[in-house]
Amino acid sequence: MILKAKDIVKYFMDPEKHQVLNQISLAVSDGELISIYGESGSGKSTLLYILATLDMDFEGDLMIKGQNVKEMSSTALSDFRNEQIGFVYQFHHLLPEFSVLQNVLLPAMKRNIKSMEQLREEALILLDEMGMKAFAERPSYKLSGGQQQRVAIARALINDPALILADEPTGNLDSKNSEMVFELLQEITNNRNKAVVVATHNSKIYANSDRSLEMIDGIIRLS
Amino acid sequence: MSKHVFNKTNLFIALQYLTARKKQSLLAVIGVLLGVTTFIVLINFMTGVNDFLDDAVFNGSPDITINAQSSPEQKSRQFQATNISNEKRVAIDELLKKHSNVAAFANQVISPAILTSDTKQFPGSLNGIFPKQEKKMVNLERRLIKGKGFQSLSQKNNILIGISLAKRLAIDVGDSLKIILPNGKQETLKVSGIFSFGITTIDNVRTYMSANTLQTLLNKETITDIHIKLKEREDITVKTFLANTVSGISIGDWKENNKTIVIGNKVRDILTWSISFALLLVAGFGIYNILNNTVIQKRKDIAVLKTIGYSSRDVIFIFLVQAIIIGLLGAILGAFFGYGISYLISITSLDTSDFIIVDTYPINFKPSYYLLGVAFGILTTILSGYFPSKKASIVDPVTIIRGL
Repeated sequence: MILKAKDIVKYFMDPEKHQVLNQISLAVSDGELISIYGESGSGKSTLLYILATLDMDFEGDLMIKGQNVKEMSSTALSDFRNEQIGFVYQFHHLLPEFSVLQNVLLPAMKRNIKSMEQLREEALILLDEMGMKAFAERPSYKLSGGQQQRVAIARALINDPALILADEPTGNLDSKNSEMVFELLQEITNNRNKAVVVATHNSKIYANSDRSLEMIDGIIRLS
Repeated sequence: MSKHVFNKTNLFIALQYLTARKKQSLLAVIGVLLGVTTFIVLINFMTGVNDFLDDAVFNGSPDITINAQSSPEQKSRQFQATNISNEKRVAIDELLKKHSNVAAFANQVISPAILTSDTKQFPGSLNGIFPKQEKKMVNLERRLIKGKGFQSLSQKNNILIGISLAKRLAIDVGDSLKIILPNGKQETLKVSGIFSFGITTIDNVRTYMSANTLQTLLNKETITDIHIKLKEREDITVKTFLANTVSGISIGDWKENNKTIVIGNKVRDILTWSISFALLLVAGFGIYNILNNTVIQKRKDIAVLKTIGYSSRDVIFIFLVQAIIIGLLGAILGAFFGYGISYLISITSLDTSDFIIVDTYPINFKPSYYLLGVAFGILTTILSGYFPSKKASIVDPVTIIRGL
């Protein structure tokens, strides 16, 4: 079991106190692709940020890789995120000042356990698998949306984390690119044996996941 | 995992940001550069002027002067210098020898006189000195332009005169000079040396001659003044000590005798520091503004860095190091520019004014001012870079990602 969330409760305080997540419990094992489906405002992104340890202001327990993340200091949490969690955004979010290769390398350079040559080699292999090797030295802002998302997935994988979280990864892509991204996520789940949690509107992802959860008003409904 | 925030990765990211926005970074560097350059030039120049005046005025004149207090009846006869009686002189000598802050002292016979060359006539001041004593008071060798110094006054008919006076009287070393004393006595002396203190008020009137010769001419055995050089010039307690111990004397100190110069120095100091401070403040605001804008524009990137495992401390470092690099570059370049401009000023010739006689602008190249300027520049940048960096570090990734 990679991830175990129990009775997660989350309130928004602004503009008034409002419960976003109501006693959410969730367990994810490796090699499993879970999709969370729901309307905007249903709380699926909020849940994802909590699972990603980005939002620590919640009630309930969250264990990732057997560690209670609530007990970690913010620096320890940064390190933990760096090693164990890969995050893919809707708007791909590459750093425009850096090349494609440098973007992929940023998490690994932070971790700093391998030599630069080795990291470059690994990053190039990942980019190759994403079909982006030819663009390695390009400035990241010169890529199309679909290309950027593939680079973002490579960046999420570079530190070989246990858990991949994706927030509407196809939300901003055309159907062809959406399909390609979903195939990559499936490949990551099956071949790399990662636990993948995707928050999505995309019915194809919803229909083809190992497990699909529907979220309505902060409550998960199994379908 | 890197344990310290100071690591290659964070440095690499900071440099990447700096070089990606070359124009802005360059502007920030120029801001600091201008601040530090101006600071250095100003302080080099202002302290140069202060030092020059100090050197010219205070080294050419005593720190403390003692005269006899004139009685009302003597005051009416303006041209007659009052005398310090021999008894009093001996008493004061004894007191001064024992005082710890007295570096040297000398007796003088001072009298006004009319100085007459073949063609011209001017009023002047005769300083009758005892060469052995006076040597310890004034380093005339350094001020000498022509001829010989105090040692030539062992010959009783020699006189040393200031350069401006020599020019006005149109006389040179070896020429003769007639003096007419208040009591009507006249004597012809030979110019044995010409000196310049660089201050017209001194060079225009001052002459040195043998005290013994002047005493003979004035029919006196006494002296009129006692001059004192102090070890620590700021400490003038000897003045109150003498005033309390010896009666019937008036005592002046360098501060009250040179009020205008002391005030001038103060004004220049205040100007230097306030202008420099204002300039560095402006440069600081520039850096603050640039980094602050960067932080606002880069909030998304900061959110991404945090999501992929960069801590708040890493983010502070990444932005602060940009400020430090800007500060270092600007400050070091500023020191070089400051030196260059100061050097150019120091070789610029100066039209001699009525007050000061100097060939080029006086500049003080003291290295500590350069260190101070560089330290000031770097400190300003770090301070102005800290707040935007702090702001960057508290960027909440969730808020940013959600806001898109």
